[in-house]
This record gives sequence, C-alpha cells and structure tokens, in this order.
Amino acid sequence: MTDQLEKAGPVTTGTGPRRRSKRTETGYASGLSAIPWLIVPVLLIAGVVVYPAIALVQASLSEYSITGLRKGSAGFGNYTDILSHDDLWTVLANTGIWVVVVVALTILIGLGLAQFMAKDFYGRTVMRWAIIIPWAASLVITARLFTLILDYEHGVLNQLLVTLHLIGEPIDFLGDDTWVMPAMIGVGVFVSLPFTAYVLLAGLNAIPADIVEAARVDGASPRKIYWHITLPLLRPALLVASVLNLIYVFNSFPLIYTLNDRNPGFSHDTSITYSYKLAFKAAERSVGMSAAMGVLNVLLILVVVLVYLRIIRWREVTQG
Amino acid sequence: MNRRAQAFTVGVTGLALTLAACGGGTGASDTGSDGGDGKVDSIKLVAAEYSSETQGFWQDFAKTYEEKTGTELEVQVVSWDDIDQQSSTMIQNGNPPDILNLNAYASYAKDGLLYSADEVLSPDVKSDLLPNFVTSGTYDGKLYGMPDLSSARALFYNKDLFEKAGIDAPPTTWDEFAADAKKIKDTGDGAAGYAEPLGPEEAQAEFSIWMFNNGGNWKTDGKWSINSAPNVETLEFLKKLSTDGVTQNNPGKTNRTDGAFADFAAGKAGMVVGFSPLAAQLDEAKKVEYGVAPMPSNTGDEPKSYGVTDYLMAFKKDGNAEAVKAFYDLYYQTDQVNTFIENEGFLPVTRSGVEKFSSDADLKVYLDTLTGVQLTPTDDPTWDTIKLAVQQEIGAAVGPDGDPKAILDDLQKQAESGS
Repeated sequence: MTDQLEKAGPVTTGTGPRRRSKRTETGYASGLSAIPWLIVPVLLIAGVVVYPAIALVQASLSEYSITGLRKGSAGFGNYTDILSHDDLWTVLANTGIWVVVVVALTILIGLGLAQFMAKDFYGRTVMRWAIIIPWAASLVITARLFTLILDYEHGVLNQLLVTLHLIGEPIDFLGDDTWVMPAMIGVGVFVSLPFTAYVLLAGLNAIPADIVEAARVDGASPRKIYWHITLPLLRPALLVASVLNLIYVFNSFPLIYTLNDRNPGFSHDTSITYSYKLAFKAAERSVGMSAAMGVLNVLLILVVVLVYLRIIRWREVTQG
Repeated sequence: MNRRAQAFTVGVTGLALTLAACGGGTGASDTGSDGGDGKVDSIKLVAAEYSSETQGFWQDFAKTYEEKTGTELEVQVVSWDDIDQQSSTMIQNGNPPDILNLNAYASYAKDGLLYSADEVLSPDVKSDLLPNFVTSGTYDGKLYGMPDLSSARALFYNKDLFEKAGIDAPPTTWDEFAADAKKIKDTGDGAAGYAEPLGPEEAQAEFSIWMFNNGGNWKTDGKWSINSAPNVETLEFLKKLSTDGVTQNNPGKTNRTDGAFADFAAGKAGMVVGFSPLAAQLDEAKKVEYGVAPMPSNTGDEPKSYGVTDYLMAFKKDGNAEAVKAFYDLYYQTDQVNTFIENEGFLPVTRSGVEKFSSDADLKVYLDTLTGVQLTPTDDPTWDTIKLAVQQEIGAAVGPDGDPKAILDDLQKQAESGS
C-alpha cells in the first residue's frame, strides 16, 4: 500500500492541475471514473431503501401464520382484506383529521412563535432554548409524560383545572371518545412546533431588512407589510415546513400509540398505528395485512404530498 | 498507479467495508447452527423481561450453563411490549432463537416449529412439573410449552378504606362484593369501590377470574363457550358495577399496570384483583395497608383463582437438541428455577418448588389455590388470536352503550370460525 501511495503521489501532482482545469470546464467527471465513487452510496440506498421496499411488497403478497412463519402466497388477499376491513374508514378519517389539524395548527402557531423569536428582547436566548428542548426529547418519553399529565385520576392538568374551578369534574382526556383526538392533536402540535418555528425563523431572518424598511418609508402599515412583503417572501420556508410536517405527522407512531394505549379497538388509530396493531396487537395478527397497509400508507402519503405540491405550485415557488 | 486506478481502489475498499458491515449482523447467528459434527457450539435464548432482575438472572445462568456444557448461551432479554414483534420478525426471517420465553406456544407447535418434551425434556423434570401446567402446555397430545413460572390472582383490599366504610371482612359472594364496593364509594373521599381494568392490556385476565367464579369458562368440554349464560351474566355484573359508579372512571379503557394497580397503590381504590408482584410493589411503597383474600364466588362453590404460566419453548434447529436438553436440565434444577421465580416474585411450576415456598406465609394464599387454579385455553392455537380479540373488544361491553351479550356472541363466532 505504501508503495502504491509513493508511486501514485508524484503522478497525481504532476497531472493534477491540467486535469482539474479540464474538469471545471466540463463540470462533470467521465462516467467510468464516477462509478467507484458511486458504489458505496448506491449500495447504501439499495440496502436501506430499495431492499426493505421490495421486502415490504413481498410480505404484503404473502400469507403468514400468527407465529410469523410464511405459509405461501396470498395473492392480493391481504389488500382485499384491508379494503373490506370494518375499521378502515374510521382509521382513514382519523388520519385525515390528525394530519390536517396538526399541520395547520402547527404552522399557524409556529408563525407567531417565529415572529416572536425574531424580535430582539431580553431573555431571547433562554426562550429559544426553551423552545428547542422539547424537540430534543424522545417522542416516546414525551408521550409517556403527557399520559401522566392528562390522566383522569392522577393527572396534573385535571387537578389544576378542578382546583381553579374551571371545570367541576375531571375530564378523561385519554379515555373519553370526544376528548382523545383533541388531546392527541394538542400533544402533536406541541412536539411539531420547535422544528416548524425554527424553519420559519430562518425564513424570517432571510428576508432583507431594506425591503421592509423601504415599505415602511413609503408609508405601508405593519399589517400591510406583513401581508404583502413578509408572508410572500416567507413562502419557500412555509412550504418546506408544511411538506416536512405533513410527512412527519402522518408517520407519527409513538404519540398515537402511547397516548391511545388504553383504548380498545381502532376507534382512535391513524393508519400508521393501525398497520402496527394489525401485525401484533389485534386479533388479525397478520404480518401480511400489516405489510399491505404499509404499502397503502406509502402510496397515501405520496399522493397527499403530490396533490399538495400541485395546489401550491411547487415549481413556481422554488424556481420563480 | 494512475488516478483512475486509485479511485477504483478506493471504491472497491469502500465496497468491501460495506459488505463486511452488512455481514457482521448475521455472522454471529450462523456460528450457532453450523457445528462441524452436527452439534452446535452456541445456542440463543430470547427471554421476556419480567423485571430489572431478569437480565441478571439469565446472565448468571448462561455462565453456569457454559461451565457445565462448554456450549455458549447467548441471552437476549426483550421487554413484554416488543417480544411478540421481535419473535415474529425472527421467525419471518427464518432465524428463530433456540429457546423462546413467551406467554403463548400453541401456534408455534401447530406450525411444527417446536421440540416436544419427548425430545428435549428429561423424564425426572417432566414428572416434577405441576399437572395443571403440563395440561396447559400440551398441544395435540404432546407437551410443547414448558412452564417457566406461574402466577395466581387473588382479591386485594385496602384495610383503611374498609374500616372507614364499616366493612369487617372481605366479601365472599358477589352480592356482598357489590354492596362493599358501594359502601366504599359512598364514603365520598373520591376512592373507587373496585378498580376494574378491562382495557386492552390484560382484559382477558380480569374477565377470566370473574367468569371462573360464576361457574363459566372459555371452553367447556372441548367446545368454545364464550357466550354461555354464566359468562353473559358475569360481563353484565361487571358492566353494572361500572354503571352504578362503584368502579373507577371508564373501566373499559383502564389498563392494569398504569391504571387499576396505580389507583390501588395510591389508595384510590378499595379493591383490585392482584397477584404477588403487586404485593411486592405495595410492600415497597408502604403507602397502603392491604389484605389479600380469595375471590368472591357467585355460585356458592369454592372460590376459584385465575392462573397464568409463561413458557420456555424450544425451536427445532439442526444439531441443537442436545444443547437444548442441557438447557432444560439446568433450568429445572431447584436452585435455578426457584431462584428465578423468587427474584421475580412469582409462583412455582414444580412440585419441588411448591414444597420449597410452602413455608413463606405471604405466598400461602396463592399456593393454596395453585394446584386447583384455572387457566385460559393456551393449549388451543385459536386462543392466541381470541385473546387479542378479547383484549380489543371486551372493554366496549362495560361502556355506557355496551352490550355484553352481543360482544360475547361476536367473540364466540370468531372462536368457532378459527378452530
């Protein structure tokens, strides 16, 4: 190896400058010499993305025993089982409500929070830290903490509300059917805010101060400045925040699973926890059905994101 | 060497590294099954985590096992929340452990994955096992589910709350039980009369013990009897406790560990169905003065207890029979199995174990019932799915709009179509 390096050394330095200038002219390396450099990333992508995707599709077309033993091909049986499942529409409705409300609230509150963080005031650093810390905590731990806060019997929130005489009787936030989804949405917004607020803050900081200044000199009211200058210029940041949130929130497993663990059945599940329960917790106990739901989940989020990008005209924003 | 060749070398090295990294994951398990002379030099145990003691016990056990047999024992302890998922994934990938510790075995036996006791259990060990656990571990005439430990349930009551409500002795009939629960509720300090956990965590256990004390059962004479008259009556009784308001809030959505047990441990419930690990937890917290009594019966018969045992099952793999047999031989030695059971606060599964623990006054109430304890039909593979259906459905029966009969009819239908 040392030999090779010594031999290779002078040769490289000798031909280096000439080649380098040639490469900057054309802008890309010849196909053949790029291959070795691409092998590692390609293998990684193949191992981490492509192989699991193929395995998922294969599993969705197979029939499994409750023990996990593959019994043979199921054709599209798992898919028809999913589509004719009694609880599918409840689950899809839950998923829709969960994703739309959490993302909308997160963006709205995140906008306010980012605006607030952008101002210069005493203690701003402390506030910025306070907002980012919940993001650093693991979702399972956060969710567990909220089950303690929201509990009917031992929960701090109920004790507080009752002591302040805001409510007469405690509320069963995690058990009462009308309260479970709002409670989960509240926690969902709480954990999505840090990321969103910081993306929007970065967006705000990227708006040139002189434009705002010019508008002010021309006599625009603060509301008009916000509406006609800040928001339009914030659009790329809003877009990134909403698309990423859409995907995160849709895929949010630990929150729903932990906050909803005392409720039997599927009445408050989203499509992600539904898919997990089908494999391991529900009477179906079917890896195949769960995999089929997994495939449907990927298609679902893909369609949602594409439709969303279409609506807000992605190209126009990113390229124009 | 020119630049292109150098680049190529780097790429190939990277490739080799990646492959090596990928290979590392599975390499370890291969050594287990490829002994040169058809015997393995290591076996793997996947065990459920009962408490913080579990890991330590199995590690010591592995050391003893290795010294004795010269075979390596790889131990993986998995939490109860994840073990179904992990074991299923291992089998899906064609890479099961040699020994698996779980609360079900019949489906595995049905799939032909397991050794029966005839192949891997010494006759001495088999004859030491308590007969009702042998029955529950027997599928299709052969013992596949070797019991690792057991537990039996009893009625826990809060002595302070009983005194405050003016109750002298724990209830022995269901009428007394309902009346006592109401008295505790009526003391008005916010305590529930009875903590009733019918949420998905262990609803089948809560329903079982009440059902057994009303002369009902999951199966009768080999046929499913989930919607039998006594069972419907039982579930209606549990629903009435809820609608009368003598239970904690929302019993159909209360889990056992963080719900009913937590309420009782906080002094917020007069009664709860508990077992020895709960007693250990209460003794440690020293917050609640409690007593333990047999379950009240609705039929005037002897009170029944609901028992649970978990299993150590062995997977058929090339050349591992001897190592597996040595594992069982060592595990069922009195100083091993009983140490494990004592650590975890559970009950014995062997005659020698019952003898050993019989001097322990705290365990008397459970040990007395242990030989006559009733279990769920774990020997029927259908139960493995019915149990999950019960967990996910029965809670709805005690809700305000719940219909006990309809839910039990539905479960009966599922059970009949499954077997």
